[in-house]
Amino acid sequence: MAVLLETRDLTKRFGGLIANDLVSIAVEAGEIRGLIGPNGAGKTTLANLITGIYAPTSGEIRMDGRSLAGLRPNEIAAQGLLRTFQVCRIFGNLSVRENLLLPYLAQQHGGGRAEGLRRAEEFLTLTTLGRLADEPAKRLSGGQRALLQVACGFMVPGLKCYVLDEPFAGINPVIKDGIIDLILGANRARGITFVIVSHEMAVMRRLCHKVTVLIDGRVVTEGTLDEVAAKQEVISAYLGKAFA
Amino acid sequence: MYSTEFFLQTLISGVIIGVLYALMALGITFIYSIVKMINWAMGEFYMIASYAQYLLVAYLLGPDLWYVAALLSAACVFLLGFVLEPVLIKPMFRQALERQDEYATVVTISLLLLLRNLATALVGPYQYKPETNLPLMVMVGPLPVAGTRLAACLCAVAALAIFYVVLRKTWYGLALRAAAQSRIGAQTAGVDILRLDQIAFAIGVALAGVAGALLAPVFNVFPTDGAVTTVKGFEIIVIGGLGSIPGALVAGVLLGVVENLGTNFISSPYQNVYGFLLVLLILLVKPNGLFGERARQA
Repeated sequence: MAVLLETRDLTKRFGGLIANDLVSIAVEAGEIRGLIGPNGAGKTTLANLITGIYAPTSGEIRMDGRSLAGLRPNEIAAQGLLRTFQVCRIFGNLSVRENLLLPYLAQQHGGGRAEGLRRAEEFLTLTTLGRLADEPAKRLSGGQRALLQVACGFMVPGLKCYVLDEPFAGINPVIKDGIIDLILGANRARGITFVIVSHEMAVMRRLCHKVTVLIDGRVVTEGTLDEVAAKQEVISAYLGKAFA
Repeated sequence: MYSTEFFLQTLISGVIIGVLYALMALGITFIYSIVKMINWAMGEFYMIASYAQYLLVAYLLGPDLWYVAALLSAACVFLLGFVLEPVLIKPMFRQALERQDEYATVVTISLLLLLRNLATALVGPYQYKPETNLPLMVMVGPLPVAGTRLAACLCAVAALAIFYVVLRKTWYGLALRAAAQSRIGAQTAGVDILRLDQIAFAIGVALAGVAGALLAPVFNVFPTDGAVTTVKGFEIIVIGGLGSIPGALVAGVLLGVVENLGTNFISSPYQNVYGFLLVLLILLVKPNGLFGERARQA
């Protein structure tokens, strides 16, 4: 399989802190890649670097062989690389339908409203948020917001790679399953590649072909979840040296 | 001696002028809500539109076409904002500057001084009055109202209606409403925020331009004619709450009414004092303004 998203020696410093230290990962097209590690390991920093929120101190990021250096987040989104945020960034004052419409129209530079509305209807049904379509999104529960946030990215026809930062944190099991179904459906039907940051090991085992373990800003190991969970350095990072 | 009719007349003229103040405040608050900066040169865009109105009416279109002139003047200011934003404001977002708000303050106050002095140098400190074909007085019910003021108010309401429709029904409106809530969020959804800044800045100064063109026959045209209206704009924003569009509208009308009531029933030389008293009162009881939300630190 061809590599879709690749980082090479990616480094990000915040003053004296090295949040990402020579991170090199290669995600294949159609893969669902997990990104795990203890708190403060640099997972969100990596997501922010990949999607252009932060500029790297050094190293490079490539998608489809093209460098993403110097591109602004909207330009990266235009390449088909989208993301969600750990702290849900839906637009509370916009209606649920408008939230879905926004990324679609942004990609089409405002055109194709009819097609956008049709797609939005599709996802309103899929997410069972149809009843709330014209409500301001701030009325949604925490779980519904997370669901809506994930669905927004799928609205973009040119979506190739979707970076999800803690999409399952603090969400009830029913909605969690809804999000998992969306991810698996998009992966199968549209061949979309995923990079998922999560602490939910059970979900990661179900979803991810391969996980990358980040500890103290460095890639420690890669493999299936069960492979990496057996490694000494991973256990000691999560549970302390005494358990290793 | 204070009849009900006099009271009503005061109220109506307060609402009329308040709508125009609100236009100014809306421009300031709109730019702030998207670009996250205060444009201190707002009054100079008002001034440019008022001169454009005068020149168009006096030399090109004639008084019968004052409304076409107003439309063109506002369009001129829109274009000027559209051209100036990439030069003056955009560099603020190119690199991560430490204090973006300070940068914006220095740049827009410099612009204010430049434009004001440029106007004095080019056309002198004289006052001009663009003619209109409007009647001196119009009867609203049994009450007389100055024709220019009433026309200005109606045109301002039309401008507000257009603004509302653009914001609610168009793609740019959707993107602008999203960006007002989260710049980063809008950007990761694929919205070109730097482009949007340029459009928001142009729309914001164009609102000041509409006010400038419409009020030119009421308050005359001179190099500092935008100053008083700008101060009112800022008063309104404090009263209504920074970043709130309904706040700007309600507070604008409120300020107009309070000012007129004070002028007619207390003492007219203190016309500009009543607004400040209202500001003080609001700061005392509701420091975030009528519609303002508590500022959140990211």
